Amino acid sequence: MKTKAMEDAAAIYRTPGELLGSAFDYIAGTGTYTFQNKVYASLVGVQHIVEARSGAADLRPSIEVRREKQRGAIPQPGDIVTAKIAKVQARMASADIVCVGQRAVKEKFTGTVRQQDVRATEIDKVDMHASFRPGDIIRAEVLSLGDARAYYLSTAKNELGVVSAMSVAGATMVPISWQEMQCPLTNQTEPRKVAKVE
Amino acid sequence: MVASHPKAGAEDNRGAAAMLQSKSFVKKTRQGRLLKIVREHYLRDDIACGAVYCSICDKSTACLSDTTSPILIVDTNVVLQQIDLLENLAMSNVVILSVVLDEAKNKNLSVYNRLRTICSNPTRHFFVFANEHHKDTYIKGMVGESPNDRNDRAIRVASQWYQRHLGGSTKILLLTNDAENRKKAREEGIIAETVQAYVQALGKPELLDLVARSQVENVFKHDVEDLRPSKRKVVYAEHKAMSEITSGLRQKIYHQGKFRVNRYNPFEAYVGSESVGDEIVIKGKTDMNRAFDGDVVAVELLPQECWQDGSGKIVEDDDEEEEEVVGLVPASADDAPKNQALEGMSEKSISIGIARPTGRVIGIIKRNWRPYCGSLEPMPLPAGGGGTVHALFVAADRRIPKIRIQTRQLSNLLDKRIIVAVDSWEQTSRYPSGHYVRSIGEIGDRATESEVLLIENDINTRPFSEQVLACLPPLPWSMSAEDLRNPYRRDLRHVRVFSVDPIGCKDIDDALNCTLLPNGNFQVAVHIADVTNFVHPNTPLDEEASQRGTSVYLVERRIDMLPKPLTEDICSLRADVERLAFSVLWEMSPDADILSVEFTKSIIKSCAALSYVEAQARMDDSRLSDPLTLDLRNMNKLAKIMRRRRIESGALTLASPEVKFEIDTETHDPLDVGMYQVREANQMIEEFMLAANVSVAGHILKHFPMCSLLRRHPIPTPKMFEPLLRTAAAVGIHLDISSSKALADSLDEAQGDDPYFNKLIRILATRCMTQAVYFCSGELSPPEFHHYGLAAPLYTHFTSPIRRYADVIVHRLLAASLGLNKLPDLLRDKSLLTSISDNLNYRHRNAQMAGRASVELHTLIFFRNRPTEAEARIVKIRSNGLIVFVPKYGIEGPVYLTKKGTKEETELVSDIDGKWIIDEEHQTLLSQDGKRRYKVLERLSIYIQVVEPQPNRPKLELTLMKAC
Amino acid sequence: MEYISPEGLRLDGRRPMEMRQLHAELGVIAKADGSATFEMGNTKVVAAVYGPREVQNRSQQLQEQALVRCEYSMATFSTGERRKRGKGDRRSTEISLVIRQTMESAILTHLLPRSQIDIFVQVLQADGGTRSACINAAALALADAGIPMRDLVASCAAGFLNNTPLLDLNYTEDSGGGPDVTVGVFPKLDKISLLQMDSKLPIDLFEKVLELATEGAKATAEYMRERLSENTRQLVSARGLLRF
Repeated sequence: MKTKAMEDAAAIYRTPGELLGSAFDYIAGTGTYTFQNKVYASLVGVQHIVEARSGAADLRPSIEVRREKQRGAIPQPGDIVTAKIAKVQARMASADIVCVGQRAVKEKFTGTVRQQDVRATEIDKVDMHASFRPGDIIRAEVLSLGDARAYYLSTAKNELGVVSAMSVAGATMVPISWQEMQCPLTNQTEPRKVAKVE
Repeated sequence: MVASHPKAGAEDNRGAAAMLQSKSFVKKTRQGRLLKIVREHYLRDDIACGAVYCSICDKSTACLSDTTSPILIVDTNVVLQQIDLLENLAMSNVVILSVVLDEAKNKNLSVYNRLRTICSNPTRHFFVFANEHHKDTYIKGMVGESPNDRNDRAIRVASQWYQRHLGGSTKILLLTNDAENRKKAREEGIIAETVQAYVQALGKPELLDLVARSQVENVFKHDVEDLRPSKRKVVYAEHKAMSEITSGLRQKIYHQGKFRVNRYNPFEAYVGSESVGDEIVIKGKTDMNRAFDGDVVAVELLPQECWQDGSGKIVEDDDEEEEEVVGLVPASADDAPKNQALEGMSEKSISIGIARPTGRVIGIIKRNWRPYCGSLEPMPLPAGGGGTVHALFVAADRRIPKIRIQTRQLSNLLDKRIIVAVDSWEQTSRYPSGHYVRSIGEIGDRATESEVLLIENDINTRPFSEQVLACLPPLPWSMSAEDLRNPYRRDLRHVRVFSVDPIGCKDIDDALNCTLLPNGNFQVAVHIADVTNFVHPNTPLDEEASQRGTSVYLVERRIDMLPKPLTEDICSLRADVERLAFSVLWEMSPDADILSVEFTKSIIKSCAALSYVEAQARMDDSRLSDPLTLDLRNMNKLAKIMRRRRIESGALTLASPEVKFEIDTETHDPLDVGMYQVREANQMIEEFMLAANVSVAGHILKHFPMCSLLRRHPIPTPKMFEPLLRTAAAVGIHLDISSSKALADSLDEAQGDDPYFNKLIRILATRCMTQAVYFCSGELSPPEFHHYGLAAPLYTHFTSPIRRYADVIVHRLLAASLGLNKLPDLLRDKSLLTSISDNLNYRHRNAQMAGRASVELHTLIFFRNRPTEAEARIVKIRSNGLIVFVPKYGIEGPVYLTKKGTKEETELVSDIDGKWIIDEEHQTLLSQDGKRRYKVLERLSIYIQVVEPQPNRPKLELTLMKAC
Repeated sequence: MEYISPEGLRLDGRRPMEMRQLHAELGVIAKADGSATFEMGNTKVVAAVYGPREVQNRSQQLQEQALVRCEYSMATFSTGERRKRGKGDRRSTEISLVIRQTMESAILTHLLPRSQIDIFVQVLQADGGTRSACINAAALALADAGIPMRDLVASCAAGFLNNTPLLDLNYTEDSGGGPDVTVGVFPKLDKISLLQMDSKLPIDLFEKVLELATEGAKATAEYMRERLSENTRQLVSARGLLRF
C-alpha cells in the first residue's frame, strides 16, 4: 500500500507553462489549459491524474494540478459561517463573516440576516432586537450570494443562531433556552435567538 | 553561448566564505555628501596562473614559459617609478597582479597604458594575474588596516600562492623597494629584493641607468657636505595637500587651470582660469614652484599691487638668458612669439601696460610628465671615469627645466641626443630628478635631429605592424571583374583624365578632366583616389591611420599615414593604369557657373601625370593644340573666373613665406634653398580642389546635419590684428579689418614704392590669422561653420585621403549619404566625432610644427659652413634692436644694435654703444646722435651665420652689415 | 572606462556571459494572496499579489476577463542616496505599465471575469536590472497566489560595452552609457512578452544582445521553477507532517 509519505515522494511538482501532455491523451482538469492540442499547467502544484468515470462519454483521464496552498475561504451558498453582528436594524441585522466552516477568512465579508430568515416559525413577528445585539457571535448558513453588498444569511435552524454574547454587565452569557441567555454576574436574562450547540 | 549564474549551492552558505563577497566603502561626492557604495565581488575558481608548464591551470592564455629565470612579481611603486626599466627587453617573465594594475591605473594613467602595452605583447612574457578575483588569493581588509597595507598584504598573499603553486618548478621573486614590505615578505617565506639589487645581480650595467632613484636618494645634491634634513635648503614652497586645494577651489581662493609656459620665455607662464576670467601670469621660477608645462595646477593670486603684465622684466638669477631666436617666419598667430607688446626686452621696470592677474602655484593637481628629448649639459669628465655621476639634462623643448640624472656612461652620452624621463622634484632641489631612458644618436647628425623633432611632436615613425600590412590587398593589384560589375561604380575610363602634381610626386590623389559638351557647357570633374575602398573601418589599418591622422612632410622624407603600397601604387592615380576613384562631376557653363553637381564612385584611367612645370609649359606654348593642352587651357580659363569670383566675395590671398630646399641626392644635405614658386597651374588645381571640397561639404551636411566633419577658420579677433595695423599705419597704410573682403581689398590697395612691398604686407597679415580646425557639425551653430580665409560658409577636406585621415572620414560620410555604404558607428556619435576631430587637429598641428622644425634644421645645416649675405626687411622694432625678415630664405630673427653679453664687435658695424630711441607711432628707431634711423619695412643688408655660443647648441645669427 | 578587462573579467569579477547570483523567496507577506522577493545580485525587490477579488471601482469592471492592476514604487532607501519618490512620477508610471502589460499577457484572465488582480512591486535595493527583478518577482508572486498563468514570465537585461555583449548589467555598467536591452520571455512557450531598449544599437549587434538576454531570462526561469517546486515540496511535507 502506498503511504502518504511515499505518495509525497513520488509527487510531480508542476509550474505554470509546463507541458503536461497531448490533448488527445488527457482532458484538461483544474489548474491546466489547452493550447494548440497540448495541455499545459497554469498553476503551481502537484500533478494528479484522475481516471474517467466509468460510463462517461469521454474516456480520457483528466489531468489536473492542485495547489497546496489554500486560498482564503469564500462563503458559498450552503456553508455554515461564523459571523459577528455589526448592526441591528428593524428588519435586518448586518454581520461580518469571520470563519467559513473551520477556516478563517482572509478578507472581510459582509452578511445580512433578514427578518424572515431569523427563525423558521412566525417569521413575520420577529423582533430583531430580541434576536440579536451588536457584538454577538452567530453561526449562520449562507443562503445566497445576495446583493452587491452582502451575503444573505439565515439562522432558521436549531443549531444556528447566537453562539456567544456579552451581557450588559460585561460577562459572557450562558444560554438558558432557545430564546434567552443569562448573565452569570447579575443573573439577568436577555432575549436572543440562541443556537443549540451539541 | 552559455549564460550561467551561480547555482543554488552558493546561496546555502551565504554567511560563510562564499564565492560572492561584497565590497563596501564610503565615497565623497562632488557636492561633499558622503555616499556609501556597496559592490558585489565575485570570486572565481577558473583563473589561470599563466605558466605554460603548469599542470593544473588552463593554458590558453599562459605566457610564462621560462623555468630558468625566476618569475618576478612587482609591487605598485616599482611599476609606477620603474616603468622604463620594465619596458626594457631584458625584463621578462613578470607577473603583474590585478591589484597592482588597478592601483597604477588610479595613480598614473600613462604608466598604466604603457604597462598594458607590454602585457599585451606575448613576446615579452608578462602575465596579468587577476588575484583580486581568485578565490585563494582574495583577502578582506582587516580592521584598522589602511588600504595601502591591505594591498601590500594582497601582493604578499599572491606571491605565497605562486610559491605554493609553482614553487617546485621555478623561483618566485618579489620585487619591492619598500623595506617594510620586504621584511614581512621574508617572514612569510617569500624571497624579496629591491629592484636595484636584482638589476645589479643581472650583471647588465646599462640597465642600472634606467633604474629610477627613489625619493630618499634624492638627498644627494651638489651641497653634498650637509645631509642632515634640517640643513637642506628649501628652495621652493611646499605644495599644499589635495584636501586643502579642493576646499580652497570651492571657496574660490585658489584657481585651477592648465599651466602653459611661454615658449619664448621659460620663466614666464600662464594659467588659463575660468574662475578668474583671464589668464593668470606666473613669473619666476619660485612662483612657478616646480610646475611643468601641461600640468594642471592650483594657483593663488598675489595681492593686486604685485600684478604685472605679460612682457615684463625677468627677475632671475639663473644662468639661462631669455632671448629671441632666429627661426622660420610664423605662419599664423599661434607660431608668433607671445610678447606682442612693443616694450620687449627693455630694462625699464614695468609701469606701462595693463596689469594682468598674477599669482603663484601652490599645488599640482595633475602632472603631465612625459619622456623628453635633449642632450646633457657639457661638463668636465670626472677623473677615473666609470662611476656614477650627476649630470644636467637640457631638453630640446625650451619650456622644460633642466633635469638632473645619474649616469655611468657620461663620456658616451655627452655628445648624444638622449631621452630622459622625470621622476620627482623635491622642495629642496633646484632641478627635477630623472633618469635616462635611451639614446637617439649624435648631436648635429641630421637623422638624429630629425628623429628628435619627430619624437617631440608625438609623431609615430615606427614601421607598419604585421597586422596593419595584413589588411592590404594582395600585390600586384589590378582592378577586378567585381569592381567592374559594381553598378554603383561608373566606368569613366573613356574620359580624358589627367593629373597635375609637384615634380617627383608618387602619391597622386587627385585627377581632373574637362570635357566640352555638345551644348557648349563643360563637364568638369575631380576624381579622388578611392581610399575607403581599401581602408575599412575597425581594421588595424584604419586604426593606425586614425591615430596618425595625417602624413608628415619633413624636408628629406615623408612619414606616411598609410603603407606605401597603398599610397604609391594601389590608390595613386598614376598614368595609364586603371584605378578606382570617387568623383565629383559638375556641369559648368563657359562662365564657370555650376549648373549641376553629381557624386559617384568611378573607374578612371589617367592619360597623363603632369608636373606643375610641364602643365604650365603646355598651356603657355601656343604651338601646341592637342586635346590635352586644349583641356588644360579651358580649365585654366574656368579656374580664373572662379578665382576672381572667390576674391570678389572676400577670399583672402595671403603670401606664403614658405621656402623650398634642393637636396643633394647622396648626402641628403640641402644644396640650395629658395622661395616656393607659385604658378598659374598651381592656382588652377587649387581652385578646383576648393570647389570639390565645398560641394562635398554641402552634400554631407544636408544628409548628416549632426555628425559631419567640416573645417572652419575662426575669424581673428581685432586684438590679433593689432601688430599688423600698427605696422601698416606707420607707413601710412590703412587696413580695413571689418570683414575678410574689406581686408582683401585694402591689401590689394597697399602698394609701396618697391614691388616686394605688397607681398611683405601680406606676409605680415598671415601671422595674424587663426588656425583652421576640423570640427563636428553637431557641436557648433551654422554661423560658426564659416571659413574666414576662403570666405566660404561651409568647407571640408575631401581631396587628399591618401595623406589626411579627415578626408577618409569625409569619404565615408559621402558614401553613406549616397547609400553606398552604411555609416560606421564611430561616425554616428557626436561626441566621438568631436574627439576624432580634436585628435586630427592635434596631429595636424604637430605635423606642421614638425615640418617647420625640419625646415629650420635644414636651414641650420645649410648655413653651417656657408655664411651668407642677404637682403632683409625690417618687420618690428625693439628697444635694443630690430626683427628682420629675409625673403630669400624665409627666415626671421633679431638683429641686435646694442652690445649684448660677450658678443664680439663686428668691424662692419660701428658705434654700437649707446641707447636707441623708439618712436612708437612711426615705428622707427633713432640713434642717440640722430645719425641713423631704422623704420619698419625698410631694406637692410645682413649677414647670416651659424654660431655656437654654447657647445652643441648651434643657432643662426643675423648681424647688420650696412643700411641701404 | 574599462568595463571588461583584457583578461575577460568585468568590474565585479564576472565574465561577460554570467549573471549575478539569484535568490528568491515565496510567501513572505502573509496577508497577501501571493508574495515573493527576488534578488539579482544586490538588486532586491518584493512583490505582493492580491486577488482575484472584487473590483473596487465598478466602472472599471471588465465583463469577460479579470482586471489586472499594477503599482511599482522604489523605497526611499533603495538607492545610494535617500531620496523621496512620489508614486506618480514618470518612471514609476512607465514601469508599472510595463509590468502590468507583461503580466496581463501571462495570466489567463478569461478564467476570472469581473474580478481584480492587484500586483504591488517595491524595490528595496536598486543596483541595476530593477525592471527585470520586478517582473520576476511579480511572476513568482502570481504563481504563489495561485492565479492561473499561461507560463511563467522570466526577464533579464543585457547590454553592450567595450565591444562585448554583457549579461545582467549592474548599476555601474548600466551608467556606462551603452545600450540596455530588457527582455521578458515565456520560457516554455519560447515567446517574448516584453522587449525594451535604451540607446542605440546596429541591428546585427542587437540580435546578439537580444539572444544573450533571452538566454539569461531562460536561465532565470529555470531557477524560478526550482524555487517554486521546492516551495511546493515544503508545503506538501508540512501538510504531511501535520497529518501525522
